[in-house]
Amino acid sequence: MTLGRFAIKRTLQGIGVVWGVITVVFALRFVTPGSAINAVAPLDADQETRQAIAAELGLDQPLYVQYGQYLFDLVQGDLGFSYIRGQAVSPLVASKIPATVELALAATVVAIVLSIPLGVLSATRRNQPVDYGATLFSLFGISTPNFWLGIMMILVLAVELGIFNTSGRAVDVGDVALSVIGPDPFVDTLAGWLSYITLPAIALGTYFTALITRLTRSGMLDELGKPYVRATRAKGLPETLVRYKHALRNTLTPVITVLGLQLGTLIGGAVITEAVFSWPGLGTLIIRSINLRDWPLLQGSLIVIGVSFVLVNIIVDMLYAYLDPRVAYE
Amino acid sequence: MVSDRVIRNLKKEFRTSALAKLGLVLVVAVVLVAVFAPFVAPHNPTTQELSQSQLPPLGFTETEESTTSQMEDGEIVTKTVKKRVEADASHPLGTDGLGRDMLSRTVYGARTSLAVGILGTLFAALVGVPIGLIAGYYRGTIDDGLMRFADISLAFPSLVLAVALIGLWGRVAVPIPDPFVVAGLVSDMPVRFTLPGTVIIVVGLVNWVWFARIARGEALSLRDQEYVKAARALGAGDGRIILGHVLPNAVTPIIVLGTVQVAAIILLESSLSFLGFSGTTLSWGFDIAQGRDYISSGQWWISTIPGLAIMLSVIGVNLLGDWLRDALDPGIEGEGGM
Repeated sequence: MTLGRFAIKRTLQGIGVVWGVITVVFALRFVTPGSAINAVAPLDADQETRQAIAAELGLDQPLYVQYGQYLFDLVQGDLGFSYIRGQAVSPLVASKIPATVELALAATVVAIVLSIPLGVLSATRRNQPVDYGATLFSLFGISTPNFWLGIMMILVLAVELGIFNTSGRAVDVGDVALSVIGPDPFVDTLAGWLSYITLPAIALGTYFTALITRLTRSGMLDELGKPYVRATRAKGLPETLVRYKHALRNTLTPVITVLGLQLGTLIGGAVITEAVFSWPGLGTLIIRSINLRDWPLLQGSLIVIGVSFVLVNIIVDMLYAYLDPRVAYE
Repeated sequence: MVSDRVIRNLKKEFRTSALAKLGLVLVVAVVLVAVFAPFVAPHNPTTQELSQSQLPPLGFTETEESTTSQMEDGEIVTKTVKKRVEADASHPLGTDGLGRDMLSRTVYGARTSLAVGILGTLFAALVGVPIGLIAGYYRGTIDDGLMRFADISLAFPSLVLAVALIGLWGRVAVPIPDPFVVAGLVSDMPVRFTLPGTVIIVVGLVNWVWFARIARGEALSLRDQEYVKAARALGAGDGRIILGHVLPNAVTPIIVLGTVQVAAIILLESSLSFLGFSGTTLSWGFDIAQGRDYISSGQWWISTIPGLAIMLSVIGVNLLGDWLRDALDPGIEGEGGM
């Protein structure tokens, strides 16, 4: 199979999963206690109002008509209407996506920048202090609840030392980009942005830093023991090239797959990190929608999260097939 | 199932690994504390004593500043009074905002974490393992269907799905009488222990896929083994082959995964109770959420102590998992996550 055909096959599979995700979320309507009308109608609504709402939402139609209408609306990007907020769901969810993506990307950057060098160092200096330190750090990193880590950082760095902001997102990455050309001083804007994003990014990124450090270490140890590494050394390549050009590259392919699969953990972690730092993203929106029993908003957010997970994994698989062409032929 | 070789490997790995010993010590300690909580806890964890609130842990004396203003000769005079808050030996880890003993709350929190971690994992395994074994053994349509369903359920982050399901279903708590208190062995302790029922079901439902995947993989490779073919040739039914030949040989990786899952579910439970989606108030995550309101006023211990308890227990379970994995099945890496 060529890369192109692999991409097509993987995309078709992905579309199937997206359809499944959408159907599962549609089915959530029916596992809610009580009828769907109860979820949207005001508590004191009389029978006539209820019927009017049911008719307006199409809840008096047969199931397949409801499902068809639901799919039809979704294809047009319509995620429904939040009766509690009196707003359409799609623009509301869309307005929260940038904050969550910014947080998730920042955490990923923190994780990759720290973990890969640490993992490599740990593998190449096996059983030396660096290795023990890295192993201990990984153990703590995968065992610490990220929300607690966030609170501890707020306690030490923000409350005691007063260097970071503990809540909100008054300056975002877009402001930083604008300040390059705009009237705002660039350095101040950048510092402002960092004062908001640093703590949440570290709180969310620590688990992944620990996880990838472990993976990189064990992957490097595996690769460095393989015959091709001996061959590259035998032909006289400098050790740096052996390590970083050959061994590390082969270590990174499985790391990328794990990153894709852990995207769910990343988004789940973002939900709680957002709660700790009052970060105005999708996580905060989801928690609020549940507390207000705003089901259309919850369903809309779930669909966006589920579909982005599938999309990112398709991209990861293609990247993987590009880095390791054997995958596409299996 | 558990052969001599397995036990020999476990012992050998245990002898050489200091981390394995540490893990076992931590886990045994947490289990003992959780089981015998009424004997370990010095106070009733739910008793509020407002006169004793916000006491620091032993060794940490806090200075509390209170500012009062009053009118004197037509002018407003503000007075700042500094008061030392001494730790009290009967509350070695201090008290929370309502004067409840932190040590006792931490001890009882271990019960919730362990109960959810173990029962949630068992539930996930009970759902996942049979489905995985059947899919892997029969292959074909059942298998395709399962794998697609697994893909779909992986698309929702565990925490998000758990929060959504608990939001939809409500928080059901099951009160269970505490046998030690009922038998009259201890007095002045909570008579009932609250088991967060919905949380257990939900964490099981969001994590069964990992068990299904592992069981499927094992069944796929075992179904073509010579001894399975021999059993089939002797006329054994599918049910008998799956239960008698496939399952026993798939047990090792399932146990290793189970350990990793207990750690993941303890973390998930703490996240859920931190967000207020648990059915009980005796939980580490709940206490961290409570303590958050006191951080800016200096009462750091209310959030810190339960977090340390989570960290130590999860480190213990993870180390135990590493030991089992290294000893039983060096080939697999643990999967899981929040």
